[in-house]
Amino acid sequence: MGIKIVSRQLSGEYEKVLRREQRSFMTGNEVVAWAALAAGADLMYGYPITPQNEIMHYWARLTPHFGRGFLQTEDEMSAGFAMPGGALVGKKTFSATAGPGNILMQEPIAMAEMMRIPGVWIIQQRGGPSTATVIYSQQELRLTATGGNGEGLRIVYSTASHQELFEYTIKAFNSAWRYRFPTFVLGDGYQAKMREAVTLFRPENRGWELVPAEPILCLPGVPARDRDPVHLRNTFNLEEELYTRLMDQLAVYERIAPEVTEWEAEVPPEPEVLLVAHGIVARAARQAKESLNRQGWKVGYFRPVTVRPFPGQALRQIAAASPNLRLLVVESAYGQLLAMVKAELYGLTNPVDSLLKPGVGITAEEIAAAVDQTEEGEAVS
Amino acid sequence: MRRVLEAYVGEYASGKSENAINRGLRLVRAGRRVRLVDLDLVEPAYTLRPLKRKLEAQGLQVLAWETKELIGPGEAAIPLKKEIVSALAFPGDVIIDVGYGVEGRRLLNLIEGGFAQANGEEALRLIMVVNTTRPVTSSLPLILAYLDEFGAVDGLINNTHLGEETTVELIQEGAVLVTAAARRVGCPVLATTALRPYARQLGSVDRMGNPVWPIERFMSGAFW
Repeated sequence: MGIKIVSRQLSGEYEKVLRREQRSFMTGNEVVAWAALAAGADLMYGYPITPQNEIMHYWARLTPHFGRGFLQTEDEMSAGFAMPGGALVGKKTFSATAGPGNILMQEPIAMAEMMRIPGVWIIQQRGGPSTATVIYSQQELRLTATGGNGEGLRIVYSTASHQELFEYTIKAFNSAWRYRFPTFVLGDGYQAKMREAVTLFRPENRGWELVPAEPILCLPGVPARDRDPVHLRNTFNLEEELYTRLMDQLAVYERIAPEVTEWEAEVPPEPEVLLVAHGIVARAARQAKESLNRQGWKVGYFRPVTVRPFPGQALRQIAAASPNLRLLVVESAYGQLLAMVKAELYGLTNPVDSLLKPGVGITAEEIAAAVDQTEEGEAVS
Repeated sequence: MRRVLEAYVGEYASGKSENAINRGLRLVRAGRRVRLVDLDLVEPAYTLRPLKRKLEAQGLQVLAWETKELIGPGEAAIPLKKEIVSALAFPGDVIIDVGYGVEGRRLLNLIEGGFAQANGEEALRLIMVVNTTRPVTSSLPLILAYLDEFGAVDGLINNTHLGEETTVELIQEGAVLVTAAARRVGCPVLATTALRPYARQLGSVDRMGNPVWPIERFMSGAFW
């Protein structure tokens, strides 16, 4: 055909896609790649697994035009351990994985927790346990929120639309580098592959400040003379050393939790039922709430946006204000969100029902029908 | 009667499967024998398989795996159905849904005769589906760059839409871009395709004089 468009020209064209802020028809995985670009991510380390593959594909396609980097490692452990290397020299690094890949990455993520090294992980949940299905689930909630051999010192945003995938991916980079805790965007196979309209933008054009990535190691000056030495550790000789260090980190985490925690709540006066769901299922729950409200049901809706830290206090206040309020927890897993909700409601007497469908999608109609059928709840004890 | 042999190619999520299905059904309704082939080996069996029976009930012969036939390590590898290799050896029209962007084109070498050069009236034509709201094909330079990377095609289809936010004006803007790209590379725009309500408003031709083909949505019944 003989038409050669050099990559320099294309970077300008791709830049226009971000700057003109037009509605685009996209898959969620693509949205994440563009979000990482807009967030100023420098490097992606990744290993293929469905349903996140197109995050890698689009990142690898776009980055040559923007001078960013991509490395496909030999497995997820390697990708996870390469990330802190990039972060230590001042690069914004990220990865994307799912299912068994999420399990393998927990070891490097736990190291990043212990050493307070920032990084962003995108999780597109697939069916489990093991390789199960490549399609969809919400079964990686517990693993993503508290995986690793520790207390889960991490931030996890659970998204419900392509616009949120774009905006929370950018936000995840800011949170990771502001607080220096591993930060996650918890999506799923449906969000990864489904197509819907989204507005991409340059965060700077919306007044969003991007937290810079500063080098953590090899700082200027002589250690101990000009500055404190940087001594990042994930191994300790004594119980007391670990205890002291960990209690400091837990205190930091608890201090930042209130400003990090996000949720959505819509509660009518004198509510009878409160739908509790996260991620894509929350979108169906919200539709169900609206349709039930039109039929005269006093149904409310609560969605944790951060599933770690969990907005437990906000949920507890709603439940405590209406002792007869029945909660209906809905998730594409067998009781992972339910367990988190029950832990937060300890001591209250609100009945808690659930609609649990591990590994399959849940429609607004199914949720509305479950509310309709709900007679006797199970008391929290 | 001259056979229609077409492979639908193009950017990921540009509407290839939807257009291939609709093309096949249009030919069926014109009284022709039509075979629709699932050649998506990257997301194998997730596109046409859930729709197979529904499409067959409408008279299309569909070459794709049945759920009960499927074995293997999931997305890591699904065997090629042996009938697909000889898909073109069929006494009627053959429409091939080729998955996954530029890489998808390479799959055509798995089809006997898939890369045959114009052989009288029996050459497989490559039809590229373009939606100009997809970021990587959203401007003339980007569409041209995509075509350059892809290689020669025999025609373009303007399938510009924004899901539920589609407007007639948006489709017309897509037609302008796609037609400009087609002129630059010297291939025709076969049609602008749009869901019926929009097609009705567009009329029989779009702003650039390309025919408008009304389509129906089928892929909402597939997994992804």
